[in-house]
Amino acid sequence: MKLGSGWWTRLVIILLVALFSCWFLVPSYYSLFVLKREDRNKLEELEKVLPWWAPPARYRLSLGLDLQGGIYMIMRVDTKTALMKSTDKRSLQISALLKEKNLTAVQVESLPEARQVRLVAADATMAASAEKTLLPEFKDFEVASREGNSFVLQMKATEAMRFETNALEQALLVVRQRIDKWGVAEVELRKLGNDSIQVSLPGHDNPEQARDLIGKTAQLEFILVDDLYPDFFEKLYKENPPAPELGIELRPGPTLSAKESQPLLDYVAGKAPDNRMVLLECEIEQQSPEMMANPNASGASSSCSNYLAHLLEKTVSMTGDSLASADVTQSEKGNIAVSLSFDAQGTKEFAALTTQHAAGPGKKGRQLAIVLDGVVYSAPELKVPITNGQAQIGKDFDSRPREQQLAEAQMLALVLKTGAMPAPVSVGESRQVGASLGDELIKKGSYAAVVGLLLVLLFMAMYYKLTGLVVDIALVLNGLLILAGLAIFGATLTLPGIAGFVLTLGMAVDANVLINERIREELDRGNTARVAVDNGYNRAFWTIFDSHITTLFAAAILFWTGTGPIRGFATTLIIGMSASLFTAIVVTRLINTYLVHGRGAKTVSI
Amino acid sequence: MRIFKNKTSFNFIGHQRVALFISSLCCVAVFAGIPLVGFNYGVDFSGGTLVEIQFPETVSAETIKEAGTQGGLADLQVQGIGAREDNSFLLRLGGTTQLTPQHAAQAEAAIRLQAELKSFYADLDNGLINLRTANKVDAEMLNREAGTAEAAIKEVRELGESQSGGFDYQIVFSGMAEKLQTALKAGLKEQKFEIRRVDYVGPQVGKQLKNKGIAALIYAALAIIAYIAFRFDFKFGPGALLSIVHDMVLVLGYYLITQREFNLTAVAALLTVVGYSVNDTIVIYDRIREEMARLKGKPFAEIVNLSINETLSRTILTSGVTALSLIGLLIFGVGEIFDFAAAMFIGIFVATYSSIFVASPVTVWLEKYLDKDKKPKAI
Repeated sequence: MKLGSGWWTRLVIILLVALFSCWFLVPSYYSLFVLKREDRNKLEELEKVLPWWAPPARYRLSLGLDLQGGIYMIMRVDTKTALMKSTDKRSLQISALLKEKNLTAVQVESLPEARQVRLVAADATMAASAEKTLLPEFKDFEVASREGNSFVLQMKATEAMRFETNALEQALLVVRQRIDKWGVAEVELRKLGNDSIQVSLPGHDNPEQARDLIGKTAQLEFILVDDLYPDFFEKLYKENPPAPELGIELRPGPTLSAKESQPLLDYVAGKAPDNRMVLLECEIEQQSPEMMANPNASGASSSCSNYLAHLLEKTVSMTGDSLASADVTQSEKGNIAVSLSFDAQGTKEFAALTTQHAAGPGKKGRQLAIVLDGVVYSAPELKVPITNGQAQIGKDFDSRPREQQLAEAQMLALVLKTGAMPAPVSVGESRQVGASLGDELIKKGSYAAVVGLLLVLLFMAMYYKLTGLVVDIALVLNGLLILAGLAIFGATLTLPGIAGFVLTLGMAVDANVLINERIREELDRGNTARVAVDNGYNRAFWTIFDSHITTLFAAAILFWTGTGPIRGFATTLIIGMSASLFTAIVVTRLINTYLVHGRGAKTVSI
Repeated sequence: MRIFKNKTSFNFIGHQRVALFISSLCCVAVFAGIPLVGFNYGVDFSGGTLVEIQFPETVSAETIKEAGTQGGLADLQVQGIGAREDNSFLLRLGGTTQLTPQHAAQAEAAIRLQAELKSFYADLDNGLINLRTANKVDAEMLNREAGTAEAAIKEVRELGESQSGGFDYQIVFSGMAEKLQTALKAGLKEQKFEIRRVDYVGPQVGKQLKNKGIAALIYAALAIIAYIAFRFDFKFGPGALLSIVHDMVLVLGYYLITQREFNLTAVAALLTVVGYSVNDTIVIYDRIREEMARLKGKPFAEIVNLSINETLSRTILTSGVTALSLIGLLIFGVGEIFDFAAAMFIGIFVATYSSIFVASPVTVWLEKYLDKDKKPKAI
């Protein structure tokens, strides 16, 4: 390589890359060294202290749970059991419907493991008429086999799959609700495969509380909204004003609203009248289109933008057990509603409930709150008595954008649909690290990294002299690039990640050793300094390329199969190997070429 | 500074029999050791609870073990970690909750004497019992009847009346970590301690993680072989594969001999060794390919030997520097990270050895074998 105009371009590119890397490390620096410990996970706090020229706060290197303390959990959602229970329930509903239609002679047997219901009639005609009665009502079932006077109904595979997806969605919802109540700063929740939920709670290390997530299965309940104390919240607010820093406001309704659930719950605790209780409704933030398109994305801190207080009766009017189905429907005019239907038992109960409390001549309809796991989802007014077990909730969805209405309706349908049949959730894996251990690991990890790096730098300079110093420059730049790369990808720094960092620097040396040994060989053959440097780089290139690619394979597979901290290790290794290609092939070459071509050195200090 | 002043001409290929003997012996020893001694599987793979605990004052592992045994933790394993003055220990327990099938059966029988049970379901994985009684019962009674010294109850929850008749209750048993805490508090009265880390892995997840780990190693080996076959020549593949397997087996030997915990970090170490091993082998292969083009007609074994010699200083240097970078981790690393660094350390040397004494000779043999087939055609 001769020194031409390309040389300057390369130099500028390298300097730009180095500068860019430093620039990208600014948020990480502020996050780790300027921010107070407890604010470390709060992006908005970081945003406040960052200078105007710094990159956005989300490009920061955050500490993994093993370094800052916290809980990492994998929760397994037993969708299979829920599906079996659902089959059982459907078989009960089938036999109830048959009884209603006077087909009492048909025997109904549930085969939950196969998602099947076996029906045995007295004769073939009766079997045929039972089938004709059932199929239009139970659209999620199809006939699996017929034989004389008996036939088997099976839940459609697509329905079963939808049920499992819903069960997972609902478990996610309930877990999120329960975590919301703790007020943890940065919770990360994501679906893992089709039956697991991954929960990360940085800075939170109380495993006892974590068990609350699975302790009780979520209950779906219908509870009447109070009508005896309409001005309860207004009076409470006026007589006993909350501290302004709690952020509790009086809203028309009248009701109370707050950004955080805990202060609001504390404020109203013990103040409800006899036989009344206060539950909160979660107002969902307006979701951005990309968030809705990607429901797997972690819902950063909390899905609620606001909490509304409701005063409810203490007695539960109905539980979700008797709910048969729920779905989002759209009328011809395009109005979005959620329709629900009850089974035979539920129809009776719901008829009694609505007859008593619906609007009528001279009386206002009561509100019936839909409550899942202690959180109010909707509180529609009972407008007319419903005796056929088919109800519609047309919440005032009108004023907001259509996508949001639909999302809310779907959420409500999900709550109703699976709320009656929650899937049992268990902890598959849980890793909890105390903050003090994390601090110690950071200290030891950085010592280890510094010692390893210094030893390598020192050795290189001693062994290869001036060229060794060039290698050292490349190595330092390499370390910088790895850190910046991790920050750009928003990766987390874990203890295995630090180990990966150290190891990667050790391995990055290899490329330089290959080149320098080649240069020495070329010199030994009697070549001039210029030829030796040029040949050394050219000949070593493919070896370096091949050896890096194979290490990248191993790292990629590690990333793909690993979880948690191990992933941190793999990420570091991948970024490090890519950075090493750049520093060895481009950076050191430029400097060494400059030394022999630009400065005209007749010998190579190697 | 140079490792070798002059060009070296060691006869590596000539000594392959000795090397082969040593390698085979070591590998066979490890293979024999796996069923005989077995790995010390961590909770990642075997399932269970792992607790890291630190005392402000000196405590011996025996004292802790004794306190645990008295508290009913028969299978408690205690291992000191870090420096002696850290007073840190890793405690491992096989189970995950205190509820065992026997306890559940006992509890069921005891409750049946007091109340009419409509249903009873023990969820052993979560340490929960869900039950439904015909009539309303006293939670205190359930607490009394279901709890024992070994299986302490954390809470009895009244879930209210069921729609289909009966009353639902849920008994929540304490987890193993809590049981351990109770046992240690009782057994080590004077000692304060801090629980620094609790890892819990369910038995099913453990099995999954194990399969995933094995799959990862196999995929990595296959991907690398495919790449070598694509970039080089078919005859280079088996040598590289054999040397990967050789290195993995010997690093496994480290975990077998030291009985350090074999967990996910160990798999990460194995995979990194695989990457490193191939890296090392490829550098020699690359040189062989280059010299084959330059020195046409020379016997293949000679070319291989020459290539190994030419790359020898690089091989030693790279291994040395990579090992050097690990020294910090070996000094300051505790627990898993120390094991990772130690396994890598051994892996680096084994990988260096195997690319010279395993990968290259195998390639020579294959060449000879393939040559024999080709010769008649050439004439």
